[in-house]
Amino acid sequence: MNDQLKVILEVLIFISQEPLTRDKIKEVVGEVSDEELEAGFQALQEDYASSCRGIQIIQTAGGFLFATKPEHDQWVRRLLQIEKKTKLSSAALETLSIIAYHQPVTQAEISAIRGVDSTYCLKTLLQKKLIKIVGRKKAPGNPLIYRTSERFLQYFGLNSLDDLPKEEEIAKILEEEKQMVS
Amino acid sequence: MEQENQEQPETQVQNQDFQLPTDSYQVKLEIFEGPLDLLLFLIRKKKIDIHDIPIAIITRDYLEYLDKKEQINLDREAEFLLIASLLIYIKSQMLLPREQEAGERDDPRQVLIDRLLEYQKIKVASTLLREKEEDQQQRWIRTFLPPVAKSEEAELLVVSLFDLAESFFLLMKRKEQENFRVIKGKDVSVEQKIKEIISFLEKNGSMDFLEYFSAQESMEEALVSFFCLLELIKNHLVLAVQEQLFQTIRVWLRKSQTPPHGPDHE
Repeated sequence: MNDQLKVILEVLIFISQEPLTRDKIKEVVGEVSDEELEAGFQALQEDYASSCRGIQIIQTAGGFLFATKPEHDQWVRRLLQIEKKTKLSSAALETLSIIAYHQPVTQAEISAIRGVDSTYCLKTLLQKKLIKIVGRKKAPGNPLIYRTSERFLQYFGLNSLDDLPKEEEIAKILEEEKQMVS
Repeated sequence: MEQENQEQPETQVQNQDFQLPTDSYQVKLEIFEGPLDLLLFLIRKKKIDIHDIPIAIITRDYLEYLDKKEQINLDREAEFLLIASLLIYIKSQMLLPREQEAGERDDPRQVLIDRLLEYQKIKVASTLLREKEEDQQQRWIRTFLPPVAKSEEAELLVVSLFDLAESFFLLMKRKEQENFRVIKGKDVSVEQKIKEIISFLEKNGSMDFLEYFSAQESMEEALVSFFCLLELIKNHLVLAVQEQLFQTIRVWLRKSQTPPHGPDHE
């Protein structure tokens, strides 16, 4: 039964374009206990973790997805004839970090933290669907409120917002930098 | 350790830039994301404790930077000047005698310190996210072409005249907003257009009318194409379906054997 489940999971993840969530799997598979499901995932992930496999199963944005392993990056790029993937500009990344840590947040709040007008960056991020507008703030001018999107999680390979670098981690890096300077 | 390695080249670059002659100043300011970035750089360069900034020195350094700039690009420099004014304001506050020996809380620098600390955190978070971005970009996932909805799969809704009219006005509005610079004296007849639409449908199977409409060169042509659509519907030559209000109208050629109510009959 367990092997059967493993195979089904493999099939379902294989065919999914978006990260496949546990809920969705349960919906499809029907009655299956959480333990069985987790055991299935584990077995499947172990299978793919082996070095004779070029692809793996990653957990991102709350679901499972097939992805190539990073060490084979160059081959994919050769096939697709992509020299380099475009990265976010540092201004956009900075804006995105602020939204990630301060959400829900308005344009004015973001600009205040950066000390720089961020309207243009927000536009870019919206276009890339890394952030979304979730409503308007009940404040003078009713400014728009921004949040990060599912796409954001996927883009950075985060399973949920809890996976963002923690405050302590940041504090530690700052401490190390300080010691380096002095 | 990794972080150190990442940081070092960056600081080196900044230091090199800093030693460049004054005329390359304009380039230098560009390397900073904003005024706070510049301030943090100055603070780090002077090995100053962020919690105890000698405002006079930092203000001088900061203004020196701005002074070297010959031309002021208002869009960008306004933000640098705003922080400059904050620095000068704090400096003046520090000079004023205070009634009581103020506690730490009354430190006029606190506003600035809080902002710098917050910004510093964000900068670190950004570098961490950058690492994740780089790592993630090496993991490729399959991308699919969006599946083409087949006529029998799509949830169909018979379009009423009102829906059509509604879409029409929507389209007109969109067209109106466009700037037409070239006026072409091209005559388009309904007959011609009908032929064009039918041959398009024969070739492509179906048509996104909204797209087709916007692709028309002139307002006149766009109008004619809409009349054609109405005409074709009237003569039971095509089937027009709008899945939702304000969405596009999809048009199919009616096959002769298809009964008048076609695929939307379920």
